[in-house]
Amino acid sequence: MRFPYGNAALCMLILALLSGLFLAMRPVSKKTARLTFWTFADTHADAYRKALPAFEEAQRKKGRDVTVDIQLVTGEAVNRRLQAAFLTDLDVPDLVEVEISWAGSFFRGPLKDVGFLDLTDRIHESGLWERMVQARFAPYTSRGRIFGLPHDVHPVMLAYNREIFEKEGVDVRKIETWDDFVEVGRKLTIPNKRYMIEFPDTEASRLEMCLFQRNGGYFDPEGNCIFDNEIAVQTMLWYVPLVAGDRKIGSNLGSGQILTKAVEDGYFLCLVAPDWRTKSFEKDIPSMAGKMALMPLPAATPGGRRTSTWGGTMIGITRHCPEPDLAWELALHLYLNKEDLAGRFRETNILPADRESWKEPAYSEPRPYWSNQPLGKLYAQLAPDVPFQYTSPFIGTAKAKLGEALTQCVQYYRANGERGFEAYARQQLKKSADEVRRLIRRNPY
Amino acid sequence: MTTSSWFRLQHRAAPYLFVAPFLLLFFTFGLYPIIRSLILAFYATNGPKSQIFVGGANFSFLLSDPDFHTAVWNTSVFAFWSVFLQLPLSLGLAILLSQRWVRGRNALRLAFFSPHLLGSVFVGVLFQVLFIPQYGLVNTTLHRTTGGAIPLDTRWLSEPALVMPAIVLTSLWMYVGFNMIYFLAAIQAVDKDLYEAAIVDGANGWQQFLAVTLPGIRPVAIFVLVTATIGSFQLFEMPWILLGNSSGPNKSGLTIVMYLFQTGFITGDLGLASAIGWTLALGLLVISLIQMRLTGAWKGASE
Repeated sequence: MRFPYGNAALCMLILALLSGLFLAMRPVSKKTARLTFWTFADTHADAYRKALPAFEEAQRKKGRDVTVDIQLVTGEAVNRRLQAAFLTDLDVPDLVEVEISWAGSFFRGPLKDVGFLDLTDRIHESGLWERMVQARFAPYTSRGRIFGLPHDVHPVMLAYNREIFEKEGVDVRKIETWDDFVEVGRKLTIPNKRYMIEFPDTEASRLEMCLFQRNGGYFDPEGNCIFDNEIAVQTMLWYVPLVAGDRKIGSNLGSGQILTKAVEDGYFLCLVAPDWRTKSFEKDIPSMAGKMALMPLPAATPGGRRTSTWGGTMIGITRHCPEPDLAWELALHLYLNKEDLAGRFRETNILPADRESWKEPAYSEPRPYWSNQPLGKLYAQLAPDVPFQYTSPFIGTAKAKLGEALTQCVQYYRANGERGFEAYARQQLKKSADEVRRLIRRNPY
Repeated sequence: MTTSSWFRLQHRAAPYLFVAPFLLLFFTFGLYPIIRSLILAFYATNGPKSQIFVGGANFSFLLSDPDFHTAVWNTSVFAFWSVFLQLPLSLGLAILLSQRWVRGRNALRLAFFSPHLLGSVFVGVLFQVLFIPQYGLVNTTLHRTTGGAIPLDTRWLSEPALVMPAIVLTSLWMYVGFNMIYFLAAIQAVDKDLYEAAIVDGANGWQQFLAVTLPGIRPVAIFVLVTATIGSFQLFEMPWILLGNSSGPNKSGLTIVMYLFQTGFITGDLGLASAIGWTLALGLLVISLIQMRLTGAWKGASE
């Protein structure tokens, strides 16, 4: 018997039936782990996988059979997937690590609609509020409620080329303020060949770091946009001449291999170095081992704060998690287990937010790459003084707008120098901040 | 039911059954999202769960939104260069590679087309490396060939004035060969007798191009013009890879689709993102209609 519509149609029909059958019969992998945990950094994932057996063993002793599935969702994918998961209520993990610049965007809408569990009471009841660096809760707080545990402190120091500094007779102990630093920088900088510091002129990451050091920021604790206040204006007026004009001492080429080459060539003498970045330097610029050293960030004014902060990560428990108590136990195990933290510090150079762990010997070990300086101890000394940085769902826009204001100011300064610069900087900051405020006002939630 | 009525029913139902899978997929993943996004464009949203009707507020916000204006301007500049630089280059290459005297024509055609095989993400990554200041291939080559007039630390991707030229250069590398293939196919389809007749009439090369080639490839040229314009206004992956989320200093590389993505999936404002999408769609419709009117596309079709 022939198929009445021809062989082509018959083939299509058979293919459709076969693929339909395949989809219907295909075994769907069932979720076997009791907890699913997403993290975005491979170093974190490796460290957590090592720490898991102890947690699972401890749970077994309590008579609970707990398995944890740690999923590495790298880069921005974790934020996109999480956002999509929250929006659709599908494939939501139980715990997730979120990078600091993204955290605020998840706190949009009424508090009841935030995808993360409110951890405020747990944090206070468990004593973590006192035990951890309190400033580090600020980026994960919205309308007074805390939605994440801080993974780190990320104090900032300056990494410098010790060999060249010694050759040029620079004594870093005498560099106490940014004025001292700039004075040395003007002597050592050779335009287009050597710059005192890696400071970009078109994006605001270092400007932001300087702003935090001066107790400024993007938002106040109530979520009001403040990056056009007097602190921000003064920081901008100070920063721009360092990266633009004839007397600039800062430049920027980019990241990755180009930065490696630039540091090796002595193009940059100093680099802003939060703890996490020191490990990047060790990995990416191994040829500089023993030639680099760290010094505290110069203070804005004599006796002022000698550090700032750059970057960060939180762990949050999603509202979707059916066993929040178990997830909380896992979070505490991963973030507070001193032995694990010490091992992790050796592998990542990241200082945990838990102050009690800093007493471990790992933090006092001399590091050959850093001219045998005790890296952990140096950062731990500065850590209690890291500034607060408050967030908002509009943090991404605010960062972009500050970057735009910086770019405009740099262009103005290149063309006009000091003439009218202060008024222009004020105007640009206000314009950028007003655009953020306009977006905030538009939000009916 | 008799056998004959069963066969009649089969005959009537069969076409619908065959198109049913497509229709099902189209309604689910095509039509429904289109209608949903149109509805969303009139709401202030906090994800799909929370929505407040705001009428035309999303559209009126766009009218006074400086970032949207920047995105429209940047995309228009890119589209302008795409049309007025990319297409003539593609046509020129196609004419050149259709000449019999060019040796290794097939290899050259493959060479010019091959960047398109790489995909825009890969091309973005590649040019990100090429544009590196101080050590990148573009700067070192320009520095040497201009005797140092172009500095080594020229920052293609972080100097506002250079960002758009960098994107245009990258897209030229990727798309000139792609559009060349369309023109090449069209040129080869032009009736050879017409050229012979033109030669008999004493037409030189330029006159042959104007009187024979250009009218002969007009339908394809209109198609390429319209698709290149639409493609330019949909530019997303390449600048996203080249410049990242920041879209360059002063948002100098921000395109409309990048802004849509940022608004919808970073800021989480799906209502405004939908409004951007519909504004873009309507804008493209108007531009395409104008282009087709100016190029006489309908006239050609009716003939």
